[in-house]
Amino acid sequence: MTTERRRSPFSAHIGAEMEELREGYARLSLVVGPQHLNPIGRMHGGVVTTMMDSALGAALMALRGDDAKRHPHATIEMNASFLAGAREGDTITVEGSVIRKGRSVAFGQAEARSGERVIAKGRLTFAIRTD
Amino acid sequence: MVVPESERRASPFVELIGGHTEEFREGLVRLSLHLQEHHTNPNGVMHGGVVTTLMDEAIGGVIASVRGMEAMFAAPHATIEMNASFLAGARPGDRVVVEARVLRIGKRVAFGEAEMRRDDGELLALGRLAFVISDRNSK
Repeated sequence: MTTERRRSPFSAHIGAEMEELREGYARLSLVVGPQHLNPIGRMHGGVVTTMMDSALGAALMALRGDDAKRHPHATIEMNASFLAGAREGDTITVEGSVIRKGRSVAFGQAEARSGERVIAKGRLTFAIRTD
Repeated sequence: MVVPESERRASPFVELIGGHTEEFREGLVRLSLHLQEHHTNPNGVMHGGVVTTLMDEAIGGVIASVRGMEAMFAAPHATIEMNASFLAGARPGDRVVVEARVLRIGKRVAFGEAEMRRDDGELLALGRLAFVISDRNSK
């Protein structure tokens, strides 16, 4: 199956790069710059949640193939635990894996690392359009 | 009480994505954003990261508004948990507003909730975040 890469404009806007994409799996990376920080000078939580949503959305799209074009999926729930912070200059990697894909719902999990250190974990639920 | 603009600070990341502070007073923060093409996902609708970013910023801000800016910079709070429900989508051209309130501020942990609505009032997303308050002062 070909995994045509449809880029996410928002993910590109924040500077995340797709490192790997295959059926049910995606890996994104980003180098934390001054534009990714919060008021106290650490990486903003939105950077990680954006990358998690992008990784899982793409992993599911790669898994669903052509069906994803006819019947798009959309995130309906997401939760994330922030285990550690990150600073400017850190390289953040986010891996997303599809746990289960049903007919109308799919579940995925994501893990963010800074180097070897796990800095966040997330779980996302997607609705798949059936009409 | 409205927190003076000179005392509050928006995140560089929220400036990058184009979020605006509409209201910033003790116990209530409202942020808005005009959705453009670069806020979308591959399906052409608002990316979930836009929602979670604005919620994180708004709730972090509203907790700061109650704790006071001085206390916040002396012992910053950081997000430890977030959950969000995405109820409806939005498209480029839409204006979205996130409103955040404090649920509880304890000694070490603070909780807040946020909702995102489209200009026409439709509820788009709900979120709840927990923050840990650093113990820098006690070190």
